[in-house]
Amino acid sequence: MALLEVHDLKTHFRTDDGIVKAVDGVSFSIEKGQTLGIVGESGSGKTVTCLSIMGLNPKRNTISSGTAMFKDMDLLSMNSRQLRQVRGNEIAMIFQDPMTSLNPVHKIGSQLVEAILLHRDVSTKTAKARALELLKAVGIPRAERGIDDYPRQFSGGMRQRVMIAMALVNDPDLLIADEPTTALDVTTQAQILNLMVRLQQDFGSAIIFITHDLGVIAEAADEVLVMYAARVVERGNVDILFSRPQHPYTWGLLGSLPRLDADVERLVQIQGTPPSLLNPPKGCRFHPRCPYVMNICKQEYPELRVGGDDPNHLNACHLDQETKDREAAKLLAGMMAEAS
Amino acid sequence: MAGEDLLVVEDLKKYFPVTRGIIFQRQIAAVKAVDGVSFSVRGGETLGVVGESGCGKSTMARCIMRLLDPTDGRIVFDGRDITKLSRTEMRPMRREMMMIFQDPYASLDPRKRVGFIVAEGLEVHKLGTDAEIKRRVQELLEVVGLNPEHYNRFPHEFSGGQRQRIGVARALAVNPKLIVCDEPVSALDVSVQAQILNLLKDLQQDFGLTYVFIAHDLNVVRHISDRVMVMYLGHAVEVASREEIFKEPKHPYTGALLSAVPIPNPKLGRERKRIVLEGDVPSPINPPRACWFHPRCPRFREGHCDVETPPLYEFGDGHVAACHYPLERWPMTEEEIRRPSGAAAPAKV
Repeated sequence: MALLEVHDLKTHFRTDDGIVKAVDGVSFSIEKGQTLGIVGESGSGKTVTCLSIMGLNPKRNTISSGTAMFKDMDLLSMNSRQLRQVRGNEIAMIFQDPMTSLNPVHKIGSQLVEAILLHRDVSTKTAKARALELLKAVGIPRAERGIDDYPRQFSGGMRQRVMIAMALVNDPDLLIADEPTTALDVTTQAQILNLMVRLQQDFGSAIIFITHDLGVIAEAADEVLVMYAARVVERGNVDILFSRPQHPYTWGLLGSLPRLDADVERLVQIQGTPPSLLNPPKGCRFHPRCPYVMNICKQEYPELRVGGDDPNHLNACHLDQETKDREAAKLLAGMMAEAS
Repeated sequence: MAGEDLLVVEDLKKYFPVTRGIIFQRQIAAVKAVDGVSFSVRGGETLGVVGESGCGKSTMARCIMRLLDPTDGRIVFDGRDITKLSRTEMRPMRREMMMIFQDPYASLDPRKRVGFIVAEGLEVHKLGTDAEIKRRVQELLEVVGLNPEHYNRFPHEFSGGQRQRIGVARALAVNPKLIVCDEPVSALDVSVQAQILNLLKDLQQDFGLTYVFIAHDLNVVRHISDRVMVMYLGHAVEVASREEIFKEPKHPYTGALLSAVPIPNPKLGRERKRIVLEGDVPSPINPPRACWFHPRCPRFREGHCDVETPPLYEFGDGHVAACHYPLERWPMTEEEIRRPSGAAAPAKV
């Protein structure tokens, strides 16, 4: 059985302008020890999906439906007290901005100790020892002194390490990392990615990795979910997704990327801008920007279905298989030719 | 395409004083944001500048634009030394060099209409009558891919990518020769980033523009540049043509940067050996002695790298790198990197 199974998750926000369907029917599952990457542009619903699982959306104006089964419990139907038991304990989250997600007026050590004492019945001394052990595990130099430092004394990369340490204090089964490297420089990003891979091997947690960077996805994920306008448009194993992408939006994303391993004179442009989620287009949400648009695309939303040889490789597109294979091959051949 | 040197920068330095005291401010130290950078940009080419945050890229850009006064060094633009020009003397030069900023949300005045924002440069330099200026602005909006009817809108009515197009139109308005782009696509999504990069390339061809293009993303720099300069801690550590710097990097820092960039190709990514640098960039207040990179360098040799500052060694065809033990080839494994074969031929530039 999967560690987390999300089925038909919908999160809608009531706003003054109407209902924003930020997540609109997302399903996925993740196994123990696996890394699921969620990729998409800003506003595609990546973060809201994870906030919904964690029950962190504002209650006042949120309408949620669907199920998120985590170890036989439905996270979406839990009350706040039950959720607090799970959050930071069995499921932990790392946020994007290491500059603002630590409390500036408390020492690093006491923030870590607080997280341990909330969920464990141990003495402060034991908790402090555990905090120190984790700071060492995430590679903070001179951890004995760093534990009594304030966040401002740490650089961005070091703070992100502290965030990771804090997420790991209670050996979570599932770690949700929301753009953990986006605010960092490339060399620091490489350090953090390496660290996460190593920690996953040591601790065996499952990771949901949210990013807009396809490069990071290719390095970090086992399974990939491509989101567009609040829905999943393609899903599959990372190797298959990159070698046989099936959805025109995925092609657009891959083509629009300047990359070190290929020389492209002109980048592929996806025309237009992402639609408003207040009033998304009828039919396939990508159709106004899709170069392969057909009549059916404007009428009917394509359901996720198997495409290609792998039964786990799903995509939501009306195009026939032959066209998809041909276009995907063309896109990749273009990149390879230019690479050599 | 490349012609004469349009911009020559010699030994540019910018130190920011660190002071203590309220009335009598004593200078106790200096942040050496840019510490002796020399390069030139030929007309019609794009010089990409890469480096991590805090390496002095933006400070350098602001010095070139004379938005900051350099502490030392010389900036020659189009054959004229502009280092010491006064504000009034500088004003006519400003027509020739424009800047595009990183944050499309902060670089447009929220209370001014788009038409005014784009026209401001034309009005300051009195380039035409009101009617001519209006026509020109509408033309510019069209050139950058916006609807000319959006003339009277406010910046908040536009998306991030559209705002960056407004920034481009503003820079283009006075027909500059040089545009300094300071991380123009860093705040944008990939699909929008592709649109802006394509636009900048098209404009360069149509108007013969010269760019100094600053970015921290090597993929982007590789896509747009003709030549690339790598900066570390206020110094240029390597300058080379685009082909050379990505195929045959000489400086270990360039190598580490290259190997740190995630490749959107899972197979290649797994096969690749990564050089992961330890630690953080040191403080520019108290930079390391001699080679600035030696505390983090995998090729560090005691008694040489921490004693003698590496000059810019020449590797042919304008390829220079400041390293005593340059990389022999590329790619290399971490093991090979640690074992340099010998010192570079001391062919100083």
